[in-house]
Amino acid sequence: MLTYSFFFLSHHRYRTSMATLNLSSLQSLSFHRLFSSFPQNTPTLSFNFQPKPSVNPRPISLKPYVSEKPRARVVALAVNSLGETEAVAVSPENGESAGELPSGAGVYAVYDANGEVQFIGLSRNIAASVAAHWKSVPELCGSIKAGIVDEPDRESLTQAWKSWMEECIKVSGKVPPGNESGNATWVRQPPKRKADLRLTPGRHVQLTVPLENLIDTLVKENKVVAFIKGPRSAPLCGFSQRVIAILENQGVDYESINVLDEDYNYGLRETLKKYSNWPTFPQIFVDGELVGGCDILTSMYEKGELASLFKK
Amino acid sequence: MGVTKEQVESSLKAKLNPSHLEVVDTSGGCGASFVVEIVSEQFEGKRLLERHRMVNAALEEEMKQIHALSIKKTVTPEQWKQQQESNQSNAAA
Repeated sequence: MLTYSFFFLSHHRYRTSMATLNLSSLQSLSFHRLFSSFPQNTPTLSFNFQPKPSVNPRPISLKPYVSEKPRARVVALAVNSLGETEAVAVSPENGESAGELPSGAGVYAVYDANGEVQFIGLSRNIAASVAAHWKSVPELCGSIKAGIVDEPDRESLTQAWKSWMEECIKVSGKVPPGNESGNATWVRQPPKRKADLRLTPGRHVQLTVPLENLIDTLVKENKVVAFIKGPRSAPLCGFSQRVIAILENQGVDYESINVLDEDYNYGLRETLKKYSNWPTFPQIFVDGELVGGCDILTSMYEKGELASLFKK
Repeated sequence: MGVTKEQVESSLKAKLNPSHLEVVDTSGGCGASFVVEIVSEQFEGKRLLERHRMVNAALEEEMKQIHALSIKKTVTPEQWKQQQESNQSNAAA
């Protein structure tokens, strides 16, 4: 069982690495160990960020970045500069439902009603992050600039974020207040209220009904159920993370089950795969029926088909 | 050992007779991660879930070794044509 769970751990790391190219598997492993502790909406780099104009006089923002490591790869800057990006006003409509804001990954800047930059953030789902900011600090959300990063690996996202920060500091002479060390206005989401469901009382307890029946009851008695890797407060796989972000963004009341929980959901992965006839996780059920995995949910989300699915 | 792009392509070709197929190896060489885009008449009248199931079933053997399969598109030739046209008009605009 040990090797087995290791397989799944490494699995999720591979899954999160889909967007990276030309990395050896070893590199991507250690890379994702870092990345999995990199929470959504939380630009951890906002602390300790020191602009050094005297050391580095050339303007970085528009130049392609060339890594100096032996296995160098060229990362062209994926976003327009801050100055070139048009601001989108935040209103109750697009603050709460994605509206015209992009749901992709990238960098975004929040301006208050006076046009002062308040915060520059990094997100796997810009629309969802902005919606969360709108909920917590509407008075600071006047307008938004968003720069989508097409190949959203950690490096290009960080690079995009850095270039916007540098540009902002250059133009305004200061770090956006929300990015100052110790400012928790933007980066800390309120803890999610719901806990993950547990399928069994524990591994040591002999089940009196087959696990399959428990799954069946669970998905039929709850409107929306998501089987994910890791807890919902911090999914351990990029695909699960995306699914949770979409569900949160839709404002759906859903239940989640962590398929990696070996104590309370022992044996769930294999049983669920057979039950649903679906080979991978995450899996999303609505009204007892499998909707699909991350690809399907994402595509339905983009087509705007989810609202009607959850309403029925 | 991992699976090659060619193996994935030949299985999909044999079982789904696609009119367009794109397989990208995103594993960085170990053969465990692929992105698939597929156009086939066999998707006609099938829901997205069933289409994905068909792809998963076609790759049943390969899936044992693939860690991550992202099915980006499963469309019918008709839908593909429409998408291509709307892409072109978007690009032209």
